[in-house]
Amino acid sequence: MKFIDKKTIEIDRELSELDKFTLNFIKILEKHVNYVLVSGYVSILLGRARVSEDVDVIIQKIDSSTFQALYNELKKNNYYCLNAEKDSTIYEYLSDNLAVRFAKKDKIIPNVELKWVKHKFDKLALENTIDVKLSKGSLKISHLELQIAFKQEVLKSPKDIDDADHIKEVAKEYLDNELIQKYKEMLRGFY
Amino acid sequence: MGFIEENEKERKEFVHKWAKYVRTHSDKDWSEQQNVIINSALKSANMTREQFFKMKGETNYVK
Repeated sequence: MKFIDKKTIEIDRELSELDKFTLNFIKILEKHVNYVLVSGYVSILLGRARVSEDVDVIIQKIDSSTFQALYNELKKNNYYCLNAEKDSTIYEYLSDNLAVRFAKKDKIIPNVELKWVKHKFDKLALENTIDVKLSKGSLKISHLELQIAFKQEVLKSPKDIDDADHIKEVAKEYLDNELIQKYKEMLRGFY
Repeated sequence: MGFIEENEKERKEFVHKWAKYVRTHSDKDWSEQQNVIINSALKSANMTREQFFKMKGETNYVK
């Protein structure tokens, strides 16, 4: 794992089935909308020894015609929405700030949990991404300081604390610890 | 130290040890081992949509 600069990580990893699923979905998604990967999959991509049944993705808000184009292309590539069948219902969920899930036809797991940017921390994640370069493409993940702060200060489950500990160790020479503290203080005032 | 505390200590030690392994070994090396966990878990995942949403506590979001 090479931390090339603040915005780029190169990982020469053997791709897991979860990586392949994510890369395929993102190849379609990124044609239509700006995105960022957050939460558990970020730590898994960076080597954490656990699995996740879903991949969390935040996207900027989009109008219904952009969503329609995205969903049409997803359907063409054998994805479906687990929450609803009607396109308008799925768009309604997103507009109501609810997450919607997409999986490959006849599958439930793994799936992508897609949601709109909701508050300033989602916006921060979307605006400060890191490109993770893999053998078959690249993925945009949230900057690690925010991921660590969010997991330690807001989520706080044993799984999330372990995710944060993992990221802190693998990226220890590259993290801005003052920024993690700053985010923690901001999050404390927000939640 | 009780069972729960002991268990938590061991888990934390493993997380730290594994992360150090990832940091100090080649990507091919650690990812090959990690993929055994990920790929086998995904392969054996067998859940209905209803069971999945129940597990996630999202039963209101299905139409």
